[in-house]
Amino acid sequence: MNAGSVSRYRHRRLANAMALLLGTLATLFGLFWLVWILWVTVSRGLAAISPALFTQLTPPPPGNGGGLANAFIGSLEVNVIALLAGTPVGIGAGMWLAEYAQRNALGTIIRFLNDILLSAPSIVLGLFVYALVVRPLGHFSALAGGLALALIVLPVVVRTTDEMLRLVPSTMREAALSLGVPQWKVILQILLRSARAGVVTGILLALARISGETAPLLFTSLNNQYWNHDPLKPIATVPVVIFQFAMSPFSGWHALAWAGALVVTLLVFVLGLLSRLLLARSKVIHD
Amino acid sequence: MTDADLQSAGHGRDAAAASKLRVRGLDFFYGATQTLRNIDMDVPERQVTAIIGPSGCGKSTLLRVFNRIYAIYPKQEARGEVLMDGENILDARYPLNRLRSKVGMVFQKPVPFPMSIYENIAYGIRHHERLAKAKMDARVEQALRQAVLWDEVKDKLKQSALSLSGGQQQRLCIARAVALKPDVLLLDEPTSALDPIATGRIEQLVEELKCDFTIVIVTHNMQQAARVSDQTAFMYMGELIEFGDTEKIFTKPDRKQTEDYITGRFG
Amino acid sequence: MSALVPPSASPGTGTQIASRQRIAHDAWNDRLFRGLLLGCALLVLAALLGAAGSTLWGGRLAFHSFGWKFLVSDRWDAVNGQFGALVPIWGTLMTSLLAMLLAVPVSFGIALFLTEVAPAWLRAPVAAAVELLAGIPSIIYGMWGLFVLAPFLAAHVDPWLNDRLGALPGIGRLFRGPPLGIGMLTAGLVLAVMVIPFISSVMREVFKTVPARLKESAYALGSTTWEVVWNIVLPYTRSAVIGGIFLGLGRALGETMAVTFVLGNAHQFSESLLMPSSSIASVIANEFTEAYTDLHRSALIALGFLLFMVTFVVLAFAKLLLLRLARKEGDV
Repeated sequence: MNAGSVSRYRHRRLANAMALLLGTLATLFGLFWLVWILWVTVSRGLAAISPALFTQLTPPPPGNGGGLANAFIGSLEVNVIALLAGTPVGIGAGMWLAEYAQRNALGTIIRFLNDILLSAPSIVLGLFVYALVVRPLGHFSALAGGLALALIVLPVVVRTTDEMLRLVPSTMREAALSLGVPQWKVILQILLRSARAGVVTGILLALARISGETAPLLFTSLNNQYWNHDPLKPIATVPVVIFQFAMSPFSGWHALAWAGALVVTLLVFVLGLLSRLLLARSKVIHD
Repeated sequence: MTDADLQSAGHGRDAAAASKLRVRGLDFFYGATQTLRNIDMDVPERQVTAIIGPSGCGKSTLLRVFNRIYAIYPKQEARGEVLMDGENILDARYPLNRLRSKVGMVFQKPVPFPMSIYENIAYGIRHHERLAKAKMDARVEQALRQAVLWDEVKDKLKQSALSLSGGQQQRLCIARAVALKPDVLLLDEPTSALDPIATGRIEQLVEELKCDFTIVIVTHNMQQAARVSDQTAFMYMGELIEFGDTEKIFTKPDRKQTEDYITGRFG
Repeated sequence: MSALVPPSASPGTGTQIASRQRIAHDAWNDRLFRGLLLGCALLVLAALLGAAGSTLWGGRLAFHSFGWKFLVSDRWDAVNGQFGALVPIWGTLMTSLLAMLLAVPVSFGIALFLTEVAPAWLRAPVAAAVELLAGIPSIIYGMWGLFVLAPFLAAHVDPWLNDRLGALPGIGRLFRGPPLGIGMLTAGLVLAVMVIPFISSVMREVFKTVPARLKESAYALGSTTWEVVWNIVLPYTRSAVIGGIFLGLGRALGETMAVTFVLGNAHQFSESLLMPSSSIASVIANEFTEAYTDLHRSALIALGFLLFMVTFVVLAFAKLLLLRLARKEGDV
């Protein structure tokens, strides 16, 4: 080897080492934010968490004492409406894509648009439901909030149902159909059951996504300082209350907002963890 | 004339007298590709008919015509006639669900449904017949006995079928098919995913089942065809090259292609 | 020969309930079920068309009143009923651009680390940790940005940028202004952290699709890891990598809550990245429930329509690029 090629070799090795080092630093950079955000959420949230959080109503300004009980129940109500509306339709559409439209043009288009809906700005979905439900009814309501979130649930469930059903081996279809059982029964009783864990995973993921979702609720379910169990009236939800409290000048409200943020984050992480475990288990079964 | 020849001639006459399935001028298309050409074949009742041939020869396709399972995929089309008890099952007016209750099928890989052993058997029956609990129990037991699985599972009928071994799962699938009391049983390489012991039991089972059912078995294993079948069809490139008594096919085939395949001289 | 003898007539079928009626019933149920499922699938279509259509319809008053000026005027004056969307459009584009400038190289670095550098046992946990970032609700990002990041930037980073970069000719204009902490720079930073997990996970997935034989033959020629990534992996996955970047961009453009917290709600146009501004989504979030005139509300809905169209185009482009790799993989 001559001197030139040695120096060229050194140069290449140096470039390689630099690139790999920068990659490592980028990863540390990403993890740094994760740790920082989680640390802030946990430390400030823990400081503000108390039994009252789950038992007392959202306090009026200047926001001392009180809790988020009505917001928790409100979020529960709105999320249940969202799942009730979004899940059956999502599973239905997913079944159609996987069982009747694997290769046809309309199936390809809907699958494509569903993926776009998956990343579409949620605030615009809120505007849509505002026009669809709030305007005609004349007022904000838990129902409207639930439907806005259902539009977020929908594409998540469609996609996971479609993917999970397509993982079911085609011999399962053939075996069931060769018993002379009609296709609708085969899909509902055999195929959907085989893909059950995956479909449940999709629902959990959807629930995780809507649990922290705020933007589409701002002008659909609005907010409510008191208890409300009427789905046709405005209702408090945890994310909207967090937004309102965090943007206020009152430190009591800030503390409640952090406590709510911690609870929501924990919930989302637990749901994410559950769905990962379920998915891992269902993969084992498929193999 | 040797004994074998005499036997073969005898079988041939029987077959002509009582054929369960008569295939006439069958063509099969996958999109623009033709995968079966002008097949004529009579499947004798209550005998085992084996279909052999190199992979891609169309043997599975032919089997899948007999219960029209191919029809669940777009672009697949069969033309010609397959007569079962005098009716053309390829006629669009012939109801699929009825056809499939009369022609059962077992696949390469065992595919138990994600439910209990009992439910696996009862599931198909329930769709075709409404039975009281006691009668259903009896039917499930009968099917499991026919598949020689009863003794192994009678104490765990409520357990998931996925807990069974591969060989047991395949016998469960056979039980599931015979539980509907079909006339014809189609076996698509039923032992290709099983170990030799499990394979032996399935072959023994086929031998027993032919008293009650007309059996068509597709296999890539020539010894298996020789062991279990009465009639053998040899297919190549989508055509039926030779069809006749198993012993004759394996000892004195008429066609050179058959002989080459049997003796392993094939590509 | 009657083609359709009732099966109960055939021997050995026992007490079958399958009759002509039963068969017709099954067929009808199958059709009904299929129709029902198709209806569900069409609802996906309806959701997208509805979102586009209803915002276009709701925004017609604003589009009609202001025409093209709606896009190019920077005057957003609710009191006098004048609405021009230049500032929120500018704010949306600038914050997203800033976010991409930071997120793309970092995401690439993470994907590089996770596919080529990290020991095997470390890959799954680190990948899961990075994806945790995607799970954190955006409102948490917003609170953290407002209460923690913004004061930190105001105290430590903004003054430094002001002193060092603000004096430069040209780009100096971007870094002049009071150290408020909130503003486009902060919003861009928060957005970057939010989209890093999306972009890096797409990159990581597509890097893994590169056939081993391609990489091995390059290694066999004596290439370094970096050379293999730069000369083999990136060209092979280029369209999908760009697709992943646009997927992140689509997310950044439409992100609402985090931006609303840290961008301020200013309708004055400013070149400086340190100044508060507004984005399309943040204006809608801040003003929609307080909009009392039809025109104001219509202007906000019209903004929603613009946002929807822009993100639709960006996301559709991203999906098409990603599909191209999926197809290529199908061929291999």
